[in-house]
Amino acid sequence: MGLLTVLLLVGLFVYVVEDVPAFGDYNSPANKYIKLFSIEADGLVASLDAGVVPAEIKNEIERIGFNKENNYPTLEEGEYVIERNSGVFAVDSGEGWDVLINEGEIYFNEPIKYYFIKEENGKLTVYRYNWPVRVIEKTEEETATMNSITSGLADYRGYDTMFEETVIFSGAVSVILLLRRRGRL
Amino acid sequence: MNPKVYKRDIIIETTAKVMVPLILVFGMYVMVGTESTGGGFQGGCILAGGFILHVTAFGTEKGRGLMPESWNTFFTSFGLYLYNGAGQLGIIFSLGAAQFLNYSAVWPVANLVGIATARGYLVAFMVSVGIGVTVMAAFVSQYFDLAWKEEEERGERE
Repeated sequence: MGLLTVLLLVGLFVYVVEDVPAFGDYNSPANKYIKLFSIEADGLVASLDAGVVPAEIKNEIERIGFNKENNYPTLEEGEYVIERNSGVFAVDSGEGWDVLINEGEIYFNEPIKYYFIKEENGKLTVYRYNWPVRVIEKTEEETATMNSITSGLADYRGYDTMFEETVIFSGAVSVILLLRRRGRL
Repeated sequence: MNPKVYKRDIIIETTAKVMVPLILVFGMYVMVGTESTGGGFQGGCILAGGFILHVTAFGTEKGRGLMPESWNTFFTSFGLYLYNGAGQLGIIFSLGAAQFLNYSAVWPVANLVGIATARGYLVAFMVSVGIGVTVMAAFVSQYFDLAWKEEEERGERE
């Protein structure tokens, strides 16, 4: 029975590890992007080169959930910028376009990288940039901190750190309530 | 006080006397600043380790002199207030436009004063020190509560 459990766990481990990207790979999906969908490329490349997201891609993005009801910025005309991007996915030998969207923040009111559209074998594949891309590329400009770990811990995720501190505080208070004897020292 | 419980040892006491200031300085170095290793939690743990070493060498009553209970209670909540205050600065400086903990609102003030890295300093000093002070005071207070209990039980037994 124990041997069977160990074998099952080893099988599960191998099954999981197969999907984990190589350690330190900057362009690995988990670190860099999430693949959303693929679409036939005929006739859409010229539109992308002209700086306009085709209606097919826009409708598909909104259909899979990146729409206004879920509080995602939509790809309306004039609210996004398309930039030619080459060399980002050097591993996949791909070239493509970055779709930059202005999310309307009060400070740093600039378009940030949102979608990446890659052309490959007559197909267009749409990716969604992950949050670490923003941390890696814009942390020094936005937070005036050289260390992206510090800015991630205390700046972008300030609530997390604040309530971690609150947990420690409540731990101390609980120990005081349970164990402290009055009248000594 | 039972003399068996606290036996003075000159080697341990001298070592503690030499090491405690160094540990505290190292804890400060880890705690403050954005480009160092560690941060508030680790720095606070090292500071608490310095105080605990002092107490283990000198005994609870004498060792309490370095960190009195009134200070300790003050520090436990002071760190949390410091962090929350840093968060409220965003609301105050932007006159209500920015959210809680949105340090970007410090930028106009930074431009006024002429310090470009004011936001970085805010995170480095107020936030990190806030975390570190709370963690240090919490650990020291927990250690003292446990040590007192031990001592009390021993006193009852003998």
